[in-house]
Amino acid sequence: MLVNLRKEERSLLYYITAFLAVGVLVLYLGQPEFNTAYELALSSGYKLPFWWFVVLLSIGTMTAFWLVSVYWRVAGFKCDPYLMPITASLTALGLIFLFRLRPQYAERQFAWLLLGLLALVMVTTLLRKMDWLADYKYIYVAAGVILLVLPIFFGREQYGARSWLDLGILQIQPSEFVKLLLVTFLASFLAENRRVLSTGNDQILGISIPGIREYGPLVVMWGISLLILVFQKDLGTALIYFCTFLAMVYAATARMFYVFVGMLLFFFGGTVAYHIFSHVQARVDIWLNPWAYISDKGYQIVQSLFAIGSGGLFGSGLGQGLPGLIPAVHTDFIFSAIVEELGLLGGCAVLVLYMCFIFRGLMIALSCRDDFSALLATGFTALMGLQTFIIIAGVIKLLPMTGVTLPFISYGGSSLVANFVLLGLLLNISHEVNGGNETEY
Amino acid sequence: MKQNIKKLGYFLFAIFIVLIFYLTYLTFQKGEELATHPQNRRLAAKEAGIIRGTIYDRQGVKLAETRWSGQAGQRVYYTVGEVSPFAQIIGYVSERYGSSGLEAAYSKELLGLTEADAVKNLLDKILSRTPRGNDLVLTLDATLQSKALALLGNRRGAVVALDPRTGAILAMVSAPAFNSNAIKDDKVWQQLNQDTDNAPLLNRATQGAYPPGSVLKLVTGTAILANQAEAPNNINCPGYVIIDGNKITDNQVHGQVDFIKALAVSCNTYFAQEGVKLGWPNLLRTFEQFGLNQKADLEIPVRAGTFAEKERRNKSQLAETSFGQGDTLLSPLQMALACAAIANEGIIMKPYLVKELRNPEGEVIRVTESTPWLTATTPEIAQLITQGMVAAVEWGTGTAAAIKGIKVAGKTGTAETKNEQDQSSAPHAWFVGFAPADNPQVVVAVIVEKGGSGSRVAAPIAREVMAAALYGQ
Repeated sequence: MLVNLRKEERSLLYYITAFLAVGVLVLYLGQPEFNTAYELALSSGYKLPFWWFVVLLSIGTMTAFWLVSVYWRVAGFKCDPYLMPITASLTALGLIFLFRLRPQYAERQFAWLLLGLLALVMVTTLLRKMDWLADYKYIYVAAGVILLVLPIFFGREQYGARSWLDLGILQIQPSEFVKLLLVTFLASFLAENRRVLSTGNDQILGISIPGIREYGPLVVMWGISLLILVFQKDLGTALIYFCTFLAMVYAATARMFYVFVGMLLFFFGGTVAYHIFSHVQARVDIWLNPWAYISDKGYQIVQSLFAIGSGGLFGSGLGQGLPGLIPAVHTDFIFSAIVEELGLLGGCAVLVLYMCFIFRGLMIALSCRDDFSALLATGFTALMGLQTFIIIAGVIKLLPMTGVTLPFISYGGSSLVANFVLLGLLLNISHEVNGGNETEY
Repeated sequence: MKQNIKKLGYFLFAIFIVLIFYLTYLTFQKGEELATHPQNRRLAAKEAGIIRGTIYDRQGVKLAETRWSGQAGQRVYYTVGEVSPFAQIIGYVSERYGSSGLEAAYSKELLGLTEADAVKNLLDKILSRTPRGNDLVLTLDATLQSKALALLGNRRGAVVALDPRTGAILAMVSAPAFNSNAIKDDKVWQQLNQDTDNAPLLNRATQGAYPPGSVLKLVTGTAILANQAEAPNNINCPGYVIIDGNKITDNQVHGQVDFIKALAVSCNTYFAQEGVKLGWPNLLRTFEQFGLNQKADLEIPVRAGTFAEKERRNKSQLAETSFGQGDTLLSPLQMALACAAIANEGIIMKPYLVKELRNPEGEVIRVTESTPWLTATTPEIAQLITQGMVAAVEWGTGTAAAIKGIKVAGKTGTAETKNEQDQSSAPHAWFVGFAPADNPQVVVAVIVEKGGSGSRVAAPIAREVMAAALYGQ
């Protein structure tokens, strides 16, 4: 059983290696400039042929994933065999598009990927038994709030959001890590209090209304989201936090009351923010009619729509489109580039990959034996799903654009590392579910 | 709690399905609109990587070609000195200002983006060859065109020359022209756009709106002959005519006038009186038969003729319309086509500018067939009008258009441009004609804006153009 899981995982990794190789080959055939020299961005002055650079990075990526799988086998890790290959395929797709769009970022992304995989290995080694995590929930709140507050005082503003911390050689976005703390805290809080929260005192119109003390967490969470919105101007992160919170509360209590009140609070907060903050107002105005702002603030979303519209069913072909016309295409708008070059079918394939991730994540949650683990797995999966939905809905103009990364695909160091930590925690739960901890000790 | 997690799962799947549906909607419902949106630079970028086809004149002279420098192409137009004789007809193509003229009308063919080119384009892509568009061969003649432009000199005006037997346009000049190669320069472009007096970007030949003056008498004459068994041949011209209490002065006292003489000496009295007798419906029907109220399908912008509005159609307006004044506004192309009807036994052939389309290998892939467009009148009437026009050149107002050894038919026009604002405005000089009169090979229409009298100013230009067209020089 133990051997089979990892074997399954590795055989999937071979398919992904083939996928990456085909992608790189297509790029090579389509772009004659692939033979020019490329100067490494991270170690200045060192040059190598661009083609070698791409091949080395691709081999490096797949080897790194493969080594992780081999290490797990040696270490007797019994996690789900599908989640890691799914993230590997998303990462590979991201790398192909970064090679094509911004090679310097592919290089950085590769470095971050190695860091992320290291974090994955560490998490899956050190945190295999996770039940003790539930005991320190208030430390997470404290740590989370500090991490969130830091950028407000010491942060740097980028792309209109003040959510970066500049550490000299690298910049990190603490909110990416805070979301992990948030889910962990909520899982332990809800696991402890879910019975109290799910029994109402009175009923109005068939919906049970809880007592006043039960509003507490809701209001606190709403407050934290608004805090991010106001001080960091980070609309997307605020939205993700709040939606994840609602999803977890619903999973724990099954009470639509929280969802309804939560949404009411959200719309109230959103309306107030729309009237007070110009950046929120701009986002909504652009969403309602980007064509009126085509030359300035609506330029990006209009370019994104042009890219998607020009793609058609099969896309223009890898390397044959012009996704470079979209500003920030390598981060927030990478999905538009994928749809332009790989078409509607390519875009749907990416969506299906994320759906597979959600499916596996929730299957882990469903097989958990304790509430804390189940809620933790649910929270992480919902977080991943909601973030993906929010950014993709934003770039296709289904929702206002909020500016978050597309997990595992977009360029973004903090996001990539945080997502691998998230994957590690999810896999730890899976390991627990598969009885990994019982046989070992 | 398991139930809740399942429900949450269904919800998450549902929102992803919504994304897939919306993405499908964008691709299939909005895709075309987004892909071809003028602000979407993908199409322009695609065009930049194609060698645009060459445009040739009928003799094989390159009128527009793309010089390819490996990465990008530069469009170079035929110029004489500092002006492009084909400036408004061939137009221009520019990333910044878009395109105009034949460059715009034949963009797809010149870029090789028609459906017929799809296979070749795929091959080009696979073999990574720079795709090359198709070539156009025009009916225009660079020598004749340059000559006509030179004859207009620095006056504003237009010349149209065509073959009445086929409808092929041999020359189409609008002066002032400009240097098509210089519009890349922002300053030049702005200057061209701001020069409202000379309007160099306007193709006067097809879009000009001019009172036709006496050249319209060809058409009125046809109407008179078509509606009466025999044209009145003894009208006395005292040098004026009184219609509805308004005195309309003629250019001179013509005395006893018959139909042929009326055309030859351009007697306004004759046409005013006979036009009033015809009435509005008969006159307008003939105008329609000559296609004066419609746009000839020439693929470049063409203006339809305009006549007095319904509420202004009184008797004195009718008299003025009969000899080409009043509210009537026509283009030189329309007058050339009207004259072509007389030259070609009453049939107007469909005018065209593009003779054939050739693929990059030089093979002809499309040839324009000449087809009849309108039946303006009968051969008998056309014959009578021709007699009047021959008389005009032999001993009437158009003697300046006579060519030694060739029988020329012509009609002059001196269209008044005086109005309340400008009482001293000089008249437009017009001439339409064809040669040889008994075997017409070329029809010419000339207008010189505010140039003076048709017989002195326009007729000599027409003579030179006709001679050049017949003798090759």
